[in-house]
Amino acid sequence: MTTELTFYIDRDSQLHRLNPLTKLVMVFTFIMLAFLGPGFWLPTFLILGAIIPLSLLGKIQREYFQATRRLLLPVVGFLFVMQSVFHPDDSRVLFQLWFLDVSVGSVRYAYLTASRIFVMVSSFILLLLTTHPSILMSDLTRRGLSGSFAYVITSTLQILPQMRAKANTIIDAQRSRGLDTEGGYRQRVRALLPLVGPLVFGSLVEVEERAIAIEARAFTSPLPKSFLHDIPDTRFDKTARWTCVFLILVALGANLWL
Amino acid sequence: MALVEIQNLTYQYPVTEKPALKDINLQIEEGEFVAVIGPNESGKSTLSYAVSGFVPHFFRGDIQGTIKVDGLHSRESSLNEWVLHVGLAFQNPFNQISGSKFTVFEEIAFGLENIGVTREEMKKRVHEIMEMTGISELGDRSPYALSGGQQQRVALASILVMEPKVLVLDEPTSQLDPIGTRQVFQVIKEMSARGMTVLLTEHKIEWIAEFADRVVALLEGKIIAQGPPHRVLTSPSLREQGFGFSRYTAVAEKAREQGLWPQDRRLPVTLDEAVDGFTRGFDEN
Repeated sequence: MTTELTFYIDRDSQLHRLNPLTKLVMVFTFIMLAFLGPGFWLPTFLILGAIIPLSLLGKIQREYFQATRRLLLPVVGFLFVMQSVFHPDDSRVLFQLWFLDVSVGSVRYAYLTASRIFVMVSSFILLLLTTHPSILMSDLTRRGLSGSFAYVITSTLQILPQMRAKANTIIDAQRSRGLDTEGGYRQRVRALLPLVGPLVFGSLVEVEERAIAIEARAFTSPLPKSFLHDIPDTRFDKTARWTCVFLILVALGANLWL
Repeated sequence: MALVEIQNLTYQYPVTEKPALKDINLQIEEGEFVAVIGPNESGKSTLSYAVSGFVPHFFRGDIQGTIKVDGLHSRESSLNEWVLHVGLAFQNPFNQISGSKFTVFEEIAFGLENIGVTREEMKKRVHEIMEMTGISELGDRSPYALSGGQQQRVALASILVMEPKVLVLDEPTSQLDPIGTRQVFQVIKEMSARGMTVLLTEHKIEWIAEFADRVVALLEGKIIAQGPPHRVLTSPSLREQGFGFSRYTAVAEKAREQGLWPQDRRLPVTLDEAVDGFTRGFDEN
């Protein structure tokens, strides 16, 4: 059973050692460039020229390709087909699919949309594969992100698998009392209620206890916080971040003026 | 002055009909180990919350009387100050895991991060407390991938690392198996031996008899008896009010009716005392 929801792969690489904020800014920059930047081929260039080389730099190319293939390609492929077929466009028709026209313009549009989505999701995959969520959150908290907000994010990653395990226990318990959870659609919907009740009410009780537990550890203390992990923030990190900001401005400018 | 001083405390949770604690007077000296017994709904947990500041700061409700702990006064101080003086651990180990940390080491450091302890000091204290609670080898594990006994020791360590003056434990072993129970009690015993002031609510009477300096019996929100463990735990009048004897006491009582337990000997509470009494009985025969 998996006990946590992280994609993080623990390797030693330059990408892993980069400050989490730098990586976050990079992801944001890729997305901004892909969506705002000029040129039809820019998102493709970002994928081939930046994101894939970075995955090599981070020594996580195998996991990266695995994740993109399983998570991203089906979605992007579906998007490409749907947009090609249904995006309204008056340009030259390439071929007809049954009664639908597939034109040059709609294929171009579909490709652009699909490559943009590809950039967005795969750069996030890159971030998640090389950055541990607790490191990311403690770095952001150190920079002024609300501790409660960071808590909500990291605890969700941990508690969701726990809730799934509990849901399975409840399903087993109810089945052993004769609840029929298999069969037709209606049967399944009817079986849902005795499962959801204990799960939701049980969780509400847990929330109070967990609140006491973290209060007992001074979670809401007004004292300045400190951090267990030393997260380096080098001159290179700062330069990289400002370069990213510069690139976003260039892309914005190009978008407005070209 | 006593470290914990509760005077005429009456407390009622919001939207309840009657008070959970009625006119409680309790003093606990520094270094003392006080155990609280009582049936369910007798106010044990509420008393734990009162000493650890969650009553009234977290639960609100109506409060009369005063609670003073380590120089803090319930009316004048906030929960954030209070938790630096009193540590609280309770029944369910799973719900005491913060959920925001991915390893045991980080989990234990969580409280120290919140109060701004420096990194070097933090690491030193976490290592020390992990050694003391016998979980040194678990540092890199996920706090969720542990047994109940291990999880409860992580919860204890997470509180102890903050170095409170008073440790409040609300049935810390009620959801643990016998092995987990023994492991947790070993930690409690060690803390008490080091001079920590402890307030423990517990159903497992045999364990109380071994550690406690004083036992307080609660019934329907009132203290109905308190004193040395033997006097309270073998009191016939308390038994009539629904407080169980330990199995050793119960056996010896039956044996006394049969003439198998020396008449002049007090009833035992622990296994050792029972064995001692029975073997002496046989010697005399």
